[in-house]
Formats: sequence, C-alpha cells, structure tokens
Amino acid sequence: MFYWIYDIPSATLAVIITGAFVLFSWLGTFFVRPILRTFLRKRSDINDLIGYMLSCFGVFYGLLLGLLAVAAYQNFSEVETIVSKEASTLSALVRDVAAYPEPERTNLIWNLRDYTRNVVKYAWPAQRQGIVPEEGNIRMVAFHEQLIDFEPKTKSQEILHAEALRQFNDYLEARRMRLFSVTTSIPAVMWTVVLIGALMNIALVWMFDMKILNHLYLGGFLAAFMGLMIFLIASLDNPFRGELSISPAPFEDILKHLMEE
Amino acid sequence: MHPHLMNAIKRIASKPFEVRFSASKIPTMKLITTMKSLTEVTLKFRLVAIGVLGAFSLGCDSLRSDFEKIVSDQKKPKVVKVGVLHSQTGTLGMSEMSLRHAEMLAIEEINASGELGEVKLDPVVRDGRSRSDIFRRRVRDLIDREKVDVVFGCWTSADRKAVIDEMENPTAIYLDKKADLSKQPLLFYPLQYEGNEASRQVFYFGSTPNQQILPAIDWFLSEQGGSKKRIFLIGSDYIYPRTASYIVKKYLATKNLEVVGESYAPIGQRDFDAYVSTIRDSKPDLVVNMINGDSNIAFFRAMKSTIGDANSLPILSTSVAEDELRRLPPEYTTGHYAAWSYFQSIPSEANSRFVGNVKREFGYDRVTDDPMEAAYLQVYIWKEAFKRAKSSDPLKIRAELEKGIEFDAPGGKVKVDPKTHHLFKRFRLGQIRADRQFDIIYESQDWIAPEPFPSFAFPGWSCDWTQGGLQKGPPVKLD
Repeated sequence: MFYWIYDIPSATLAVIITGAFVLFSWLGTFFVRPILRTFLRKRSDINDLIGYMLSCFGVFYGLLLGLLAVAAYQNFSEVETIVSKEASTLSALVRDVAAYPEPERTNLIWNLRDYTRNVVKYAWPAQRQGIVPEEGNIRMVAFHEQLIDFEPKTKSQEILHAEALRQFNDYLEARRMRLFSVTTSIPAVMWTVVLIGALMNIALVWMFDMKILNHLYLGGFLAAFMGLMIFLIASLDNPFRGELSISPAPFEDILKHLMEE
Repeated sequence: MHPHLMNAIKRIASKPFEVRFSASKIPTMKLITTMKSLTEVTLKFRLVAIGVLGAFSLGCDSLRSDFEKIVSDQKKPKVVKVGVLHSQTGTLGMSEMSLRHAEMLAIEEINASGELGEVKLDPVVRDGRSRSDIFRRRVRDLIDREKVDVVFGCWTSADRKAVIDEMENPTAIYLDKKADLSKQPLLFYPLQYEGNEASRQVFYFGSTPNQQILPAIDWFLSEQGGSKKRIFLIGSDYIYPRTASYIVKKYLATKNLEVVGESYAPIGQRDFDAYVSTIRDSKPDLVVNMINGDSNIAFFRAMKSTIGDANSLPILSTSVAEDELRRLPPEYTTGHYAAWSYFQSIPSEANSRFVGNVKREFGYDRVTDDPMEAAYLQVYIWKEAFKRAKSSDPLKIRAELEKGIEFDAPGGKVKVDPKTHHLFKRFRLGQIRADRQFDIIYESQDWIAPEPFPSFAFPGWSCDWTQGGLQKGPPVKLD
C-alpha cells in the first residue's frame, strides 16, 4: 500500500511522519477547533468530560499501538532468526561439500558459490521490493543434481554424503521459510484502524477548551509521539524492506569464504 | 541574571497558562493573536474553514500520490530487459555456467559504469535444462512474457537451431495470448561452431571453422608444425563435429590430402579403448579431437595408455579449453594442442583486467576461456550498438551492428562482419602446459574474416546481409 515509504531513509521518514502528524494536529487546531467549540464550549465541565474520554480512548489506542509495535518487532526478530538459521545451514553445507573428492568438490563449491552470489546480488534486492526471488530454486536444483550424482566409494564418504544430503534438506526448509516471510506484513485493514484511531485521538484534543498556544503545545506533543510510534511500527513491518531491514550480511560472509574455498 | 529577565520568569512561573505576550514585540505571537481573532468570527468563516480543511485533505492525498511518484521515479531507473538463456541444470549445466557468468559480469560492469546514463540492464535468466525443447519454450517465454529484445545464450548447435527456429516459426502451443509476432528479438551466440547457417536475427561471436580448425591444420601441415600428412578425425556424434569434419575433409582435398580415418562417439561416452585402437591401427601423425564434455577425460586417458604422450602422437582439440582442462589430469594432456581465438594466457592489459574481474566475482580458482570471452564481448558489442541506436529495438540494434562495430576485447580487437553477422577475429594455437594453461605457440598476423559457407565445402552458397542475404547453392550432403 504505502511501500514507497521504504524508499526513504529512516531518519527522513521519521521526520516526515512525525511532521505530518504535528502539522495535521496544528491545522485542525486552527480550522476545526473553532467549529467544535461552537457545539461544545457552552458546557462548563467540557474539559473534564473530554479528558475522561481521551484517557479512556488513549488506553485502548495505546494498547493497539503497543501490541502492534511488539508484534512487528517479534515478526522482525523471527525473520532475522530464520535468515540466521538459513545462513548457518548453508555454512555447514559448504563445510561438508568441501570435504568431497575432486572433481565433485569443485563442481559443488562452484554451484554453492553461484547460488550464494545470486542470493546476495539479486535475491536480496528483489526481496527489498517485496518480490519473492525464485531464481535461486534453479541453482539449488543444479546443486542437488551434482550432489546426488556422487557415488561414495568408502565408508567415510558414505557418512559424509548422508550428512550433506541432510544439511541440504534442512537448508531447503530454511530457505522456503525465508521466501514465505518476504511478503509478511501487518494487514492493510489494521493500518486503516491505526490511522483512524490516530485521527480520533487528535480530534479529541481539538475539543478541549484551552488557549490556542496550549492547544499547539499539547496537541503537537501528542501527535508527534503518535507519529513516532507509527514510524516505528512501519519500519519494523516488512522485515526485508527499507533502511531498517534484515541485511544479507550472513550470506555475504559465506560468499567471501566460498570465494577462497 | 538581568533583573528584567528575572521578573519575566517570575511572571511566567506564577501564571503558567495565562501568559500574555506583547503581539507587537513578538512576530509569532502576532500570528497567533490574529488566528485567535479569526476563531471569534462568524459562522460564514467557519463554513469557509471546513471547505479549506477539506481541500487541504484532498490536496494532501494528491501530494501523497505525487510524492510517491517522485520517490518511485528517483529509485527506479529506466530498465531494459535482456535475456540470458543457458542450461543451469542437466548435463551441460556446469559448462554453460561459465558463459552465464561472463555475460552477467559484462552486464554488471555496464550497469556499474553508468555508461548508459539512467538506463540499467536487467538480466532475465532462464534455464534451458540441457534440452532443446526446453530452450524453445524458454525463448518463447523471454519474448512473449518478459518482452526482451535480445537473448544472449545457447551452447550446442541443436539448442541454437531450436531457438532460431522458435524465433522464426513460433510453436503455437508455446505462444502467449498476448504475443506480439511482429517483434523479432536478436540472438547473440558465443560458441565456436560449424558454420553452414545464416539467420538475420542471429549474431555469432564464436569462431567459424576457417577461423579455428583450418588455420590449425595449416600450421600442422607446415614445416613448423611438423609437415603432418596423416590426419585422423574423432568427435562426439552431433552437428558440430560432423559438419566440421566434412569441412576439414573438403579442405584437405584442396591440398590433395585425405584423412586416414574418422570416428564419432555418442555424447557422454566413457570408454574410448575401441576408438583409440582404431586410431592406432590407422597410423596417423595428427589426431583432430572434436569430442565434447567429460568424454575427453576417458579419451585422453585411453590415448595416453594405448599410444603415449604428445611426442608419440599430438592431439589438436577444438573443444578443450581452460575450463575443460581443470577436469583433465595434466599427465594426460600436457604437450597436446588446442585451437582457439582466445587463451587466458594472452599477455595484455585488457585480458588481465578481464581475468581479474572474473576471479574477483566468481572465485579465485576460476579460469577464463574462449567461449567465456566471446560471451563477455558480445554483451559489450550489444551495449555499443544500443548506445548508438539509443534504443533496444532489435531492428535499430541490427542496423547499427550491420555498420560493422569494432571492440577491444580481452583477446584483442574484433569487428562485426555486416555481411555474415559473424566476427572478424584472430586465430591462436596453444600448447597445453602442466599447470592447465596454454603456451601460445602461433598467432595469426591479423584478424581473419569469417566464412560460414567456405566455397570448397558449400559451393554456390554465400551470405551477405547487406546485399540480398543468403544465396543458396545446390544441396550439400554431409558425409
């Protein structure tokens, strides 16, 4: 929906979102507040009433934002764990195939190198665009073909081969989980509720009967904090997008190692 | 602290939310006071205010769309898709990996150099799975769905012919519903091949027989090469060795010579004892080897054990390059020969850069060879045509290529032949060293013009795309 925000550097995005919320709050203070006051200012206890409402609403909205922030962070961490597991399995697979005899060893290492390079140079940028990279599948098939072509001649080769096949299967599983998480994000309907909630929160502040300067201070602070929270959730959502995303560093390390293998 | 300032702080502290500033002294406060007075005005003003806020909301939405567009435009350069079609799986997967890497390296270098301005090349890589029918389907997919204007690819002649046929005569069941049949993409083919082919949509960057096998045979027939007279031909049983053998026999006939024997082994053959016995019985003084792939291991082993090393009987290979040598034990191959246009051991700055880049990007144990160099330079030649045409339109690219583009390749200067869509390139003869590299023992004085239809083998046949295209002569039977 708002995927273009991930093309903006995090610091700039934080300023833009926070600024937009504060600006919205201030504009409402100037233009909407007078209208609301027409209906509400006649009551002497109006500020108390709105204060109660705002507290009550704030609890629910705060819970929503807090839970969302935690969920987004947990999701981010889980995907990070998946990527780490995938990289560790790949690293173990590299160790296994490095022990194969020639010429199988070179062919297997070259295939893994080809695959890892593709992950770093092409799959990761694609993931950052929300595209599930499928090209790596073919490289994995090519590696598998080379692997199953090998016929062990000694007992130790048999054990090594069985271990490599097991690692390969584990790797495929981890890789599949990474690909599934490329499109994981907070549903659009939830974002809609969050934004409407923010609007209502700010609108409640507009209803207070206060001096305009106080309105600008208090409304601005509240709007800025909501903006920051929403920035935080948006940044952690879509773990492969934006500046604050999961990096391919573990794969880059493996590729560096593979280049010299 | 200044007494006036102290008084001001005391006043503010005693009435935190009742502070009044002098509007005349503080401009910001003047604005707030004005706004305050605005809030006290009539219902008419309030209705106007609602209108303004509504318009602002709409404006924000429009602003968001504009901003989104600006961000997207900034991040996404103009992308030109190019097809890369090689086998990644199957029996040819490992061999074709090198070509794919060379093409990807060239594409990445071009993108990184920024030579094409805001245009970025987007390689769309497809797997031919070492099967001609899959090559057909993949090229159709590249054309119809990915809308590429050029395909860099293929290895075997069978795959190349399948791709050309699919481009010229689309298979109905593979055609996409939205296929645009007027679109005629180009195929850039990087391997040395047998010739005897012409298609206006294809550009050939490998050597033709008159740029590879025939100059090598000339060298062996010369005094420097030992004045050989008894030549035996052996190859894998498919299009290239069969056609190349036919051309060699016809060429030798022009010199009143005949081959002493010829044999063709199935692709993937692992036992060459019987073939080598036939060679020994024929008593040749030179074996021309056109065997492809891993069968060479068994062939060289059998030759070594039955006949001996290169001093006993030299082998001239046309499909064994540096990449194949890494799988061949040096004790079988050292001292034998190979005919190519490019060797990794060429001592030039451009070649050092190319070899260095390949090793840096794909591994320090990688080697470069003739097909890789051709795969690499073909992307650069396409880029040069693209720059001149300012478009990826195949017709415009072809028109530029038919003007005869020159390029400083790692192996030396090459030039596109407008008549035949092949390359003018040098011939080099290499002798295999124990470190799996080549000593270049002979190099042609200048580049050699390509001849896909040598007149002694294909009388009456010629190709000149600048004047009428393919001229067909009488049918030729390859026996």
